[in-house]
Amino acid sequence: MEDILEKLTIAVKRGKADKNSPYPPDMKGQEGADELTAEALKMGFTAEEVLQKALVKGMHLIGEDFSAGKAFVPEMLMAAKAMKAAMKHIEPFFKSGSVKQKGTVILGTVQGDLHDIGKNLLGMMVEGAGWKVVDLGADTPFEKFKGALEEHPGAIVGMSALLTTTMVNMKGITEKIKAMNPDTIVMVGGAPLSQEFCDQIGADFYSPDPQGATEFLDGLVQSS
Amino acid sequence: MEHHYTVRLEPLGKQIRVQAGTPLKDILFPYGVEFPCGGKGLCGGCRVKVLQGSVSLDEEHKRALEKLGLKDPWRLACRSRVTGDVTLEIGQFDTFILADSSPFHFHPRPGYGIAFDLGTTTLVAQLVSLESGEVVAVETEVNPQARYGGDVISRIEYAVLQQGADELTRLIREKFAAMTGRLLRKTGGTPPEKILIAGNTVMHHLFCGRDLAPMASYPFETPHGDACRFTAEELGLPADHTEILFLPVLGSFVGGDILAGIVATGLDESEDPVILVDLGTNGEIVVGNRDRILCASTAAGPAFEGTNIHMGMRATTGAISSVTVEGGEIKTHVIGNEKARGICGSGLIDAIAVFLDTGQIDAGGRITGDRERLPLTQEVFLTQKDVRELQLAKSAIASGLHILMDRLGYGPQDISNVYVSGAFGTFINLTNTARIGLLDFPEEKIIKMGNTALLGTKMLLFEDGERVDRILRKTAHLSLESNPRFQDIFADNMMFMP
Ligand code: B1M
Repeated sequence: MEDILEKLTIAVKRGKADKNSPYPPDMKGQEGADELTAEALKMGFTAEEVLQKALVKGMHLIGEDFSAGKAFVPEMLMAAKAMKAAMKHIEPFFKSGSVKQKGTVILGTVQGDLHDIGKNLLGMMVEGAGWKVVDLGADTPFEKFKGALEEHPGAIVGMSALLTTTMVNMKGITEKIKAMNPDTIVMVGGAPLSQEFCDQIGADFYSPDPQGATEFLDGLVQSS
Repeated sequence: MEHHYTVRLEPLGKQIRVQAGTPLKDILFPYGVEFPCGGKGLCGGCRVKVLQGSVSLDEEHKRALEKLGLKDPWRLACRSRVTGDVTLEIGQFDTFILADSSPFHFHPRPGYGIAFDLGTTTLVAQLVSLESGEVVAVETEVNPQARYGGDVISRIEYAVLQQGADELTRLIREKFAAMTGRLLRKTGGTPPEKILIAGNTVMHHLFCGRDLAPMASYPFETPHGDACRFTAEELGLPADHTEILFLPVLGSFVGGDILAGIVATGLDESEDPVILVDLGTNGEIVVGNRDRILCASTAAGPAFEGTNIHMGMRATTGAISSVTVEGGEIKTHVIGNEKARGICGSGLIDAIAVFLDTGQIDAGGRITGDRERLPLTQEVFLTQKDVRELQLAKSAIASGLHILMDRLGYGPQDISNVYVSGAFGTFINLTNTARIGLLDFPEEKIIKMGNTALLGTKMLLFEDGERVDRILRKTAHLSLESNPRFQDIFADNMMFMP
């Protein structure tokens, strides 16, 4: 019985979206995350169980590999595709309220910057860790963060920047977010950033990789 | 005991001590000498004249010289090693060399001209006789702005965020005036007809005193990219009639240096579609023919210059510049024939290709087994992160090429030639470049061009402004981020396909 959840975990980690997908080559013809999720639900596993014991686990494993350099952007994107294929089946349960997400994370690449691949990977990992992600896209000014925060009170804000000329824009946005509500948690990341920069601009958390960010987020849930 | 000899380089007037047996190629490379045929002894592009002392000849070298119709005192730098104290004149600074080694055709005009390649790191200027096409004198210097950061983004940062624009403008103009002044001493008092300057967008704005703020954030479109004319007085040169012009920007981060590259390669006059790639930090790419030209900057990053690579370094003495496997063993070539201290871009490409073939790196870029490091010599090794950095850089270039070619409806088979510019480009091994998926074209289509910015600027000294106008009219800049599929294309191109 538990077997199918294990298979699903592997399908997510390896990025096998559905039976027809040619990736990864060594899993050709095998069932993917799409079919396995449907089956697991049919077999009587709750959506919560499928989410926690397979999807979150699979994403966690690929996240670990990514942090260790054993996996890279392509593998991560494939895993996220597999996760999305599985999520299609879980989403109705989010809507009905029978499965609860851990909270809401608002993400955006900072104003002036269009580099969004790192931010997208982070979004996939955070979603794969059981959070609701509101992705504001790239070139995001304060007003957009403000609007999203009004719509999702209590949400956590994550900002990404890849340019040394745009990361400075994080300072103003963080200050304005904190002025709206000093309790809003702001996390930042992107290749040119550092812990020092995070401290300077008054943000709450910096992580060099998505894994660190999801661990920080999960820590927030446990401590509250 | 090891022997050392002194090598003097003319007309640079530089003197260096090197170990006996050091290849001339290694010595001349850092001075910007190019090897158009890749050091195969075919084109004669790297020929040097022995003014004093001697450089010994082997049979192969002798035959290569004969084929090219060269006699004593000529030698091919790519075939030579240092065997005694010697003074060399670098032939390359004397003639125009095109990749096919046919001389460049020009209409002689009276007087002199100066071609200026104003790079982010180095500045090169050549005084040219417009009558004979000869380079009369050369000046090279490090860009004095470099103390405010190595890449263009850090210059923008200093100019825009720290209000340092005036300082940067002053520094570069002063250096320009000093270099030009020294060149003018060689004309016997005749002021030059023309000074043409080529540089990337940021160098253009800083030299011309234009506002860089639009280049600091999205959409990175500058309204100030047009050609910029100066009078001699403005730039602190003796008053005269000299026409001084900074070439215009093509679009966004693609500057006048690339425009000069289009001229140097003849891309704008080619019937068949061709490609020009600059394998530098900005990774500019141009695709097109005489009808239509598209360009983009791919933001490859500095991995090919050895930056962000654990043991990476520039292509200077002590750098592993090539890697091969012989009889199952890894062999490295170290610039200057010394002990390896690190690895430069060309060595990195070779090393990755070698490890892919030995299975120590898999198609996804992962180091196989439980190894953390892949040793090349006792001291020098690659890390997993190095492989990842290379994947980002090579995919940026490959993805840019993919998107531009796709937009123009070209497949690889439609492209007749791929011109690679930049000093780094002349040292890469083409088989390995294809192996890692950086430039996946048949080797015979790829032509190493060296400094196309300088060559193109020199060629433009002999033309009126019309060619530049024609190029501007048919060239469009494409912002790669506007492609909604960028992320998928970028991820695909990170893989190492067998
Ligand atoms: C909230 O919490 C968190 C936590 C963790 C977070 C986080 C948030 N956000 C990220 N993370 C972390 O998680 C991710 C996974 O580990 C990581 O995210 P990263 O985003 O760091 O990593 C990604 C997964 C992979 N990395 C990337 O995607 C960046 C790769 C490189 C090659 C790169 C790319 C791909 C692009 N570029 Co650009 N580009 C370069 C890069 C050079 C290089 N070799 O790295 C860089 C970043 N670019 C640069 C530049 C200058 C530019 N680029 C530009 C354009 C582009 C492309 C469009 C071609 C493309 C972006 C496409 C896109 N949709 O994103 C231009 C402007 C674009 C714009 N409008 O904003 C342009 C300005 C100029 C140009 N030459 O074209 C340079 C910045 C230099 C600097 N000093 O700031 C650059 C380093 C290259 C260089 N020239 O040296 C972590 O940082």
